[in-house]
Amino acid sequence: MKKSRFMWLSMAFLLFFAVCAGNLSQTATAQAGEGKTYSIGTDVTFAPFEFQQDGKYVGIDLDLMAAIAKDQNFKYEIRPLGFNAAVQGLQSNQLDGMIAGMSITDERKQTFDFSEPYYESGVVMAVRQDNTEVKSYEDLRGQRVAVKTGTEGYNFANSIKDKYGFTLVPFDDSVQMYEEVTTGNSVACFEDFPVVAYAIQKGVQLKTATEKESGAPYGFAVNKGENQELLQMFNKGLANVKASGEYDQIVSKYLGSTKPGEESTTPSAPVSKWKIVSDAIPALLKGLGMTLMYTIISLFFAFILGLIFGFMKVSPSKTARAIATVFVDIFRGIPLLVLGLFIYFGIPGALGFKMPLIVAAVLALSLNAGAYVTEIIRGGIQSIDKGQLEAARSLGLSHRTAMIKVIIPQAVKVMIPSFINQLVITLKDTSIMSAIGLIELTQSGKLIVANNYQSTVIYGMVAIMYLIVITILTKIADSIERRTRRG
Amino acid sequence: MGKVQISNLKKSYGSNEVLKDINMKIDEGEVVCVIGPSGSGKSTLLRCVNKLEEVTAGEVIVDDYNISDPKTDINKVRENIGMVFQHFNLFPHMSVLKNITFAPVELKKQSEKEARETALKLLDRVGLADKADAFPGSLSGGQKQRVAIARALAMNPDVMLFDEPTSALDPEMVGEVLGVMKDLASEGMTMMIVTHEMGFAREVADRVVFMDGGYIVEEGEPEQVFGSPKHERTISFLEKVL
Repeated sequence: MKKSRFMWLSMAFLLFFAVCAGNLSQTATAQAGEGKTYSIGTDVTFAPFEFQQDGKYVGIDLDLMAAIAKDQNFKYEIRPLGFNAAVQGLQSNQLDGMIAGMSITDERKQTFDFSEPYYESGVVMAVRQDNTEVKSYEDLRGQRVAVKTGTEGYNFANSIKDKYGFTLVPFDDSVQMYEEVTTGNSVACFEDFPVVAYAIQKGVQLKTATEKESGAPYGFAVNKGENQELLQMFNKGLANVKASGEYDQIVSKYLGSTKPGEESTTPSAPVSKWKIVSDAIPALLKGLGMTLMYTIISLFFAFILGLIFGFMKVSPSKTARAIATVFVDIFRGIPLLVLGLFIYFGIPGALGFKMPLIVAAVLALSLNAGAYVTEIIRGGIQSIDKGQLEAARSLGLSHRTAMIKVIIPQAVKVMIPSFINQLVITLKDTSIMSAIGLIELTQSGKLIVANNYQSTVIYGMVAIMYLIVITILTKIADSIERRTRRG
Repeated sequence: MGKVQISNLKKSYGSNEVLKDINMKIDEGEVVCVIGPSGSGKSTLLRCVNKLEEVTAGEVIVDDYNISDPKTDINKVRENIGMVFQHFNLFPHMSVLKNITFAPVELKKQSEKEARETALKLLDRVGLADKADAFPGSLSGGQKQRVAIARALAMNPDVMLFDEPTSALDPEMVGEVLGVMKDLASEGMTMMIVTHEMGFAREVADRVVFMDGGYIVEEGEPEQVFGSPKHERTISFLEKVL
């Protein structure tokens, strides 16, 4: 069948495209030596352990990883997915290991194998700098407390919340959690000491309010029973870099002379807003470029899917119509976020293979938009008066010729406004893929905020960039629409 | 054997039987007008002749091709059956000329140049030579229908089917379309016309077929059917419309 061959061809095309793009965007840190390259997941917003600086990932975890890999001579690539996504990625074997300020807990030990502890952390409570009322856990009664999901801070706060009678407000990253406290929505947050200390150093208007709780230390994790050789190399390398003094150098590079437990709350000098804006522009523009690229690639495949299933929907064959209906119902019925999570974590986890992030993201966007494009094409074709097809067929033209030469040219004009609409929707929807770690405009913004804590300025810029691009695209599309209508 | 031969034709939509055992024959060069009240099945019968409607039972034979046989290449047969619709169904995205040349060129009956010459001749014949480059949207109903007739004639058909060709027209435009059809009839075209224009049927038809309730109730020469109808349903219908 011609149709199915076409579909396979486009699938192959999709893979090819995605692999090429994947190679471009991965931040591979190649080391000398042979053997496999390990995928190491990490958080995006856990300064000073991992964060982005001048477009590069830096931090204690990353420097340590680099030092250990060099010492043990293995190759790896860093996948900054965000903490929760990285945990899922590790579980579904999308990742070989994970280093993300991850506390070694009994609960996690059931799912993962941990290295020797590489950092002794501990949870502290932080409040707004001008807050003089909250000095101990007793003062939290009846208040809201911000926490970051999946962290030790969360677990600790959760364990005492009933005793002290406060409510938890969970967030996905540290910056959002700090904002919650600095804006006064919550009175306090719980976070690992070095992380809070670093943020305060960077100018976040918080102060630590309690001594740190002795908590679980951080460890490097692999999936239970997997990648044991990697775990052993990590342990050996860790011992070596500790012995050589490199470890202390790395830690003091980020935390200064600060040892856990000591106060270090002198904020650095405030940076001007214009400096923040001009520093952010290159990374955001790059993110915007990625957003546009993913939008175009996804819509290309969505269009192919839409053509195939759209014509199946108006075909005389009952089976074809049924297949197309199932396609539309499934992919229109699943929220894009869930579809992305399922394709990236669920399918590879169940079938035991690795899926490049870009393939997963483009697949999710294409299938989702494809379902809508199918309906646009079906609607457009069915909006053309039945008499047009009858007139063409009565002249002796085949169904195919009649469709191509008579129906579609008219239907396309009907479809154009809906296509423009879908373009705008898909462009905005690429931001949803930041949840699985795709680096596009929204994620680029998140990464910058994770480093400079300037959420108002950066997210404002991100919003304006979307607005400008979408407005321009809409205007261009409008003029195309006007022209075709006239023609 | 007639040009069109319909035997024991039945057509149902689900349990609704629209045509019940129709037998009919149209000879070469004959003009047959089908009249009858709305819902009598006359348009469905016409559409069965070029298989725009699938027949449920019975046989339709046109030009010795059995249309009801699934193995017949219906596209081939349709090339020889012109059809004119109540609502014109011109292709709005093509110029008048392109509407006419489109099918002959597409089906490789004529070169672009030949088709153009034929189209211009046909347009002249229907009195619209000056409208070749216009788009259908700018034409009046009567002009559209004349272009539609030219479009059907461009395929050089043996039989022309007309499905209430003047029903969607303003009264002042009916005449120009009927005029073209009258000329066509006088040139010897085989025509099957579903119409409400009793005067036209009386004047032009070689034979008039009166249908009601899915049956052919009465048929004969116009003078006989209009002048001395035999069946009481014919009489009551004609009383209402004349």
